[in-house]
Amino acid sequence: MGLVNFLVYLSIMMGIYAILSLSLNLQYGFTGLANFGHVVFFCLGAYISTIIVLVFKMPFILGLLGGMFVAGLFGYIISIPTANLKEDYWAIATLAAAEIVRIFFLNEDWVVGGGPYQGGAFGIGGIPQPLRSLFSAHTYPFFYLAIVLVCLVATYIIINTLTQSPFGRVIKSIREGDNLPQALGKDVKRFRMKVMAIGGSFGGLAGCLWAHYHGFISPNQFLPLETFIIWAMVIVGGKANNKGAILGAVIVMIFYNSTRFLKDYIPIEAVTLASLRMVAIGILIVVAMLFMKEGLIKEKKTLY
Amino acid sequence: MLKVENVHKSFGGILALNGVTFSVEPNSITGLIGPNGSGKSTLFNIISGFYNKDRGEIYFKGKKIEGIEPYRIAMLGVGRTFQISEVPEKMTVLENLLLAPKSQIGEGIFNVFLHPLKIKRENEKLLKDAYEILELVQLYHLRNEYAGNLSGGQKKLLSLGRILMSDPILLLLDEPTAGVNPTLIRDLIIAMKNLRAEKGQTILLVEHNMKVISEICDRVIVLDFGKKIAEGTPEEIQKNEKVLEAYLSGSSKWELLHEDS
Repeated sequence: MGLVNFLVYLSIMMGIYAILSLSLNLQYGFTGLANFGHVVFFCLGAYISTIIVLVFKMPFILGLLGGMFVAGLFGYIISIPTANLKEDYWAIATLAAAEIVRIFFLNEDWVVGGGPYQGGAFGIGGIPQPLRSLFSAHTYPFFYLAIVLVCLVATYIIINTLTQSPFGRVIKSIREGDNLPQALGKDVKRFRMKVMAIGGSFGGLAGCLWAHYHGFISPNQFLPLETFIIWAMVIVGGKANNKGAILGAVIVMIFYNSTRFLKDYIPIEAVTLASLRMVAIGILIVVAMLFMKEGLIKEKKTLY
Repeated sequence: MLKVENVHKSFGGILALNGVTFSVEPNSITGLIGPNGSGKSTLFNIISGFYNKDRGEIYFKGKKIEGIEPYRIAMLGVGRTFQISEVPEKMTVLENLLLAPKSQIGEGIFNVFLHPLKIKRENEKLLKDAYEILELVQLYHLRNEYAGNLSGGQKKLLSLGRILMSDPILLLLDEPTAGVNPTLIRDLIIAMKNLRAEKGQTILLVEHNMKVISEICDRVIVLDFGKKIAEGTPEEIQKNEKVLEAYLSGSSKWELLHEDS
């Protein structure tokens, strides 16, 4: 039974991270926005949803929508002052924005209302799981997996439809520089803001699903390292390919969890093994960059 | 149609444009020539809003265009191509053309989900236009090729086709025939003439090929060191001493320019 439980857990994680990698892929793969702070949307979705559901006692669905809304809004807002930055500076700015939000939640524990919810560095526990009472402890993970899969499919359909539309055509042209789309009358800044908002809100969706699954969140779960795990998924899976983004999430998640089992075979301490997972992901990125620059699934040519 | 008045622009110590004034009549084809570094491309970049001018005014259809972003100028109906072709490598030739038309319904996020049928119809109409233009620039056989795989000359043709798709009132063409083979240049000359005749478009082009200039331009403006040194019909320009001097340091004649191109 242990194995089944683990597989369900792994699938839920894959689903949540696939949503994250799909949303980063929209921003980086299709629009060329080197977002080094993607974890901020994950973090905002988790916190906002937790506050709505736990503190304000609202239903899960409102927490989910609220988390998506605030994360999307944040994406929209951070793309205003950064609109004129070049790619590398933009990457630094987004990295900083993500850290600002994380440190905010680390220090401002009043945002969760104080009282029974500790917040701050202690994190917030006891986040309710949706429709928990209808299932046994045994069957609930399967139900949650279903919720995650429904969200993943919806995310895939929405992002895939967008990238194949005339909207997708414009963002692909932005990827290779502003000059051409500008000369063709496209408001490049606005398109970028929209992409940040959409990508941000789906990042928020993933955060919300994550918070309500684990039942506990704390600021140190949203370190910049998370962003790079999502980047690894996009790079390995294939940038500008939505199926690739999902495949990348699956593979990286397998690598990420593989060291769990190594302890049975290799005489290394568990703590060291945990650190080795980042080494494994690092190697994965290097191998992908060297031998398959376009990732496992290449960008699909749009034919008419 | 277009009025450029006393435009100045300097980059550090280099005075790229030093008080340039001229106007472009509606439905005309005007050539902009001058030696390398004379300020032609800078002028294009200023008209299309990519550079800010230091001084001077630019009027388009009687309205001053000042301090507005390039995409707004494009929306007013000024279409431009670039000297070094701007071609998104990972988009097919056809996608490049479909990208061009302004304000498409399907560019709105919500429209993508709310009006899929309208978008489909719009796309079909655009495809028809695109095929026509592809025939014109002779890239039809390459329509599903990535634009990045095209040759330099083909990229020029694609840029021209793409700007035609966007249906501008005024076309600013930066060396449209550079790297294009002579027979195709002939077709392009005919195409540009047709455009003017059928669609009433106005064209301002930078060109080094004097044959093209003499054949299609009503008027020619000559720049040298950021200043307009001559303006007139191609015939007048050919006889202008100042122009010959600027181009060839006075050592030769117009015919040599012909040979050169």
